[in-house]
Amino acid sequence: MKQTSKRRVIRALGALAATTALTAIAMQPVRADTPAPIEIGITASLSTIPGAAIANAAKLAIADINAKGGVNGHPLALVIEDNQTSATNAVSSFQRMVNQDHVVAVVGTWISEVALALEPWSARLHMPFLVTGAASNDISAFVHKDYAAHKYVFHAYFPSAFLAEGVCDLAHDVLADQLHMKSAVVISEDAAWTKPLDAGYAGCLPGAGLKVLKEIRFSPDTADFTPIFQQAEALNPDIIISGWAHVGVQPTVQWADQKVPVPLAGINAQAGSSAFWKATNGGTEGVITTSTSAPGVANTPLTIPFTDEYQKAYGISPAYSAYSTYDAILALATAMQAEHSTKPDAIVAGLEKTDITGTQGRITFLGQSSPYTHALRFGPGYVTGVAIQWQSGTQKCIWPANLANAKPEFPGFVKLPKLASAN
Amino acid sequence: MKNQRIIVAIVLLALAAAPWIGISDYIIGVLTMICFYGVFAMSWDLLFGYAGEVNFGPSFLIGLGAYGAGLADADLGLPLPLCVALGTLAAVLGGLLLAIPALRLRGPYFGLITLVAVLLLQDAIVIFAGTTGGEIGLSVPDILSVNATVNFYYALGLLVIAGTVLLTVANSSFGLILQAAGQDAIEAQALGFNVVKYKIAAFVLSAFFSGLAGAMLVFYLGTASVDAMVDIAVGIQVIIAAVLGGRRTIIGPVLGAAFLIGAGEILRPLGQVSGVVVAAVALGTILIFPNGFLGLLRGRHSA
Amino acid sequence: MLILQILIDGFAISALYALGALGFTLIFGVSGVLNLAHGAVLVTSAMVAWYVGTNEAAGALAGAASGIVAGVITSFVTYAVVVRPIQRSKAIPEVERELFVLTGTLLWGVMLQIGLGYIFTTTPVTVHQLVSGTVNILGVRTPTNEILIAVISWLTLGLLWLLVNRTPAGKRLLAASINPRGLTLMGVELDQVHLLAWGIYGVIAGIAGVLLGSFLGTSSAYIPALTGTAFSIVVLGGLGSVTGTVIAAYVVGYIETLTAYLISPSLRAVPALILLVLVLYFRPQGILGRR
Repeated sequence: MKQTSKRRVIRALGALAATTALTAIAMQPVRADTPAPIEIGITASLSTIPGAAIANAAKLAIADINAKGGVNGHPLALVIEDNQTSATNAVSSFQRMVNQDHVVAVVGTWISEVALALEPWSARLHMPFLVTGAASNDISAFVHKDYAAHKYVFHAYFPSAFLAEGVCDLAHDVLADQLHMKSAVVISEDAAWTKPLDAGYAGCLPGAGLKVLKEIRFSPDTADFTPIFQQAEALNPDIIISGWAHVGVQPTVQWADQKVPVPLAGINAQAGSSAFWKATNGGTEGVITTSTSAPGVANTPLTIPFTDEYQKAYGISPAYSAYSTYDAILALATAMQAEHSTKPDAIVAGLEKTDITGTQGRITFLGQSSPYTHALRFGPGYVTGVAIQWQSGTQKCIWPANLANAKPEFPGFVKLPKLASAN
Repeated sequence: MKNQRIIVAIVLLALAAAPWIGISDYIIGVLTMICFYGVFAMSWDLLFGYAGEVNFGPSFLIGLGAYGAGLADADLGLPLPLCVALGTLAAVLGGLLLAIPALRLRGPYFGLITLVAVLLLQDAIVIFAGTTGGEIGLSVPDILSVNATVNFYYALGLLVIAGTVLLTVANSSFGLILQAAGQDAIEAQALGFNVVKYKIAAFVLSAFFSGLAGAMLVFYLGTASVDAMVDIAVGIQVIIAAVLGGRRTIIGPVLGAAFLIGAGEILRPLGQVSGVVVAAVALGTILIFPNGFLGLLRGRHSA
Repeated sequence: MLILQILIDGFAISALYALGALGFTLIFGVSGVLNLAHGAVLVTSAMVAWYVGTNEAAGALAGAASGIVAGVITSFVTYAVVVRPIQRSKAIPEVERELFVLTGTLLWGVMLQIGLGYIFTTTPVTVHQLVSGTVNILGVRTPTNEILIAVISWLTLGLLWLLVNRTPAGKRLLAASINPRGLTLMGVELDQVHLLAWGIYGVIAGIAGVLLGSFLGTSSAYIPALTGTAFSIVVLGGLGSVTGTVIAAYVVGYIETLTAYLISPSLRAVPALILLVLVLYFRPQGILGRR
């Protein structure tokens, strides 16, 4: 009895060792003898629209940079890892990119959970890490709190607080001034990124001219949104302000199905993608969301060529994270070029001096004194984002005024406050 | 006898020496994850293989350990070993909580309770996002070590200790009584064994190592997150590893974990499809060789 | 007004829950299989319905039909590739069949989930509705689609009841669920009964998947939650009991709706889960289950 069980253990251990050895052999690096390109790591969940957009935009970015001679004579190359929306996978692929592929920086992820799981690893391994789609305030707050350790992290997108400001600017210019709206109900998914967003809404919407009647938060796995819309409608607001990223299709479709007479605006991240029309069977008609840019909109001279190039290469319009990723890689290349180095600290120093024109606007990162250290600078003259509205199956830009290519229009079931009586 | 001891020693030494024979930090990282998942799967095997309890929620125990430790560190600022101890304690209490219905319910009913336990824990973490960090996860200020090799030794040490304890227990009379109780509780009771006591002990032991490993994993990854430690998908991985490696063997589940994680890494270039391939191989294995890898190695004359 | 709203809203979602869980309980009743790939079957049907339905040449009706066909195919594949080999295997001891079926269907569900995610991405989509517009029921604005969903769900439930209780084939199904050995002794091929059961399962799951996809949207990421909900409802009602499943679906549906309206939408799922724990603890066989 004892004897056999011991033998069992030994065989098992032997098998374990063999598996380990095989794993080790299978993972030995294969390196070509060509002059070393500079490797950049991409981490994204490739089965999601914003995730695929990160990888796609990165490919276009390095193609454009290599076409102009690369960085200090070296071409750029990508190592793209699918993190499958899992923090554990992301951590192991991050290690792999750093230790095995010797990347000089890692770029990507639109999911805050993944970004925050990678942040300690960026600090430990001294690996520059540019987050290009997640919105948690904590990403840059951690850099501010412990700069020496976390300085390798750059938030090349906006913290929720800035996203809220963007919506408030839209609310002021369009909803209040143009459409004479006076009151709003905020409906946000219950997620960590929406806490600061809701706080931001509560702080800035009144100043923009919209009284917040109520804040409703719902579980991200809510299936039936009827109770939520009913609650909102009962308060008779002029507009519903959304804070959605993990959800999008369901509330949008149900809003249209139930013919909720209150218009929908705010952040509806999935609505920024051209695939959203088909996903909602057109239910998104009239929905307004802020985004980084949109087809046919020229934030800068780089925007339209990029959008067209992207559309040509991949058949769909770029999601918000495509613009931010393209700009992040541009900034990274510029930093390496300027510092003549691919060493982590030199890249950090270079990125801190970033001042370039990207596809979204003028790209610079906030300094140590800001509570959002290393986040993208937000505001007029820098990056403000745009507001798009779905009109007859296409995304139109309705804000800011200098970029707008359409006036807001709503489906028949929506009741507008003064406009109806004014007409 | 002597020979066998030498082989065990050599295998363990080979693993321990892995960091010194030119293996990259990345592979050390993979081995570290294998060790953690190995402990999860072994602990699950004690409950399922021996006590006959289908626990669909190993991640309930893992998650309690992880968040117990994470909260103690991030919110209370306690020293790291104390945090790990508190996390383990939380998991043991959770194990006791699961033992109560386990003594009354059988098969799918108990399975569902464990599933619901995971969902409730997940909901609680999201609802109390203010303290737990919600779905974004909880970053902890302390970590085991910045050195991959040191982290690996922590995980390997944990694996060796857990493996020794669980194997000893499983191969003792305790394991036999547990098995008897798992197959026919009434008869075991009739034979004069206090089934309740043994079952509770099995739950406590399983929860202890699940929680301990969960707590240490937090300080390895630097974050406690629903996705990495609580999600049903984590539990599924653990169950698949155990069944694939060979249930009722304790060591088998470690092989299963090594396969799942190793194959996942090797097939990574396939992207998402790698998951389909791994699942298909696992499905094929349990269909053709129900006793798993270890059953295969041991030959056909096995239980 | 609010009460009426809750009544109407809860009715439709509960009917959908009942239909979604119905196949799960049926297949358990007849062949003792807990199919953990259930959510994957639902989503496969919904995805196919969406894909065909958005194709301009096909339209919503053709989409729904192909969704149901996809449900039947997936069901048969599940049976032929996963369940039957395990039930037939000599290497698997009798007492452990259940666990192997659970693990096997779980793995199969994972394969379907990742595969669907790879083909269609994990971004949710909505199946084209058969009807659009809203109807005013005593002052409550109700989408016509919601009414149609409730009607189809109840029609399907009724048809299943007729089939089981009023046709010879259905009686064999019933007999198989009560005493499979006796049925074999009477010379009935159990294999055929099982094939029939999986065929019916596929149709029901297909309909449920398409309706779910048109009301709540669909994505491969929803698969585990759908399996979990069906599992909970079925256990709450009593494994294998169709009436119990319907009652449990309504209990869960209304508790969730009440919670969402009266307490908070973010706590929607919690009270039903707690109820489930309590019921399992005090009445483990469920509302109408046999021990």
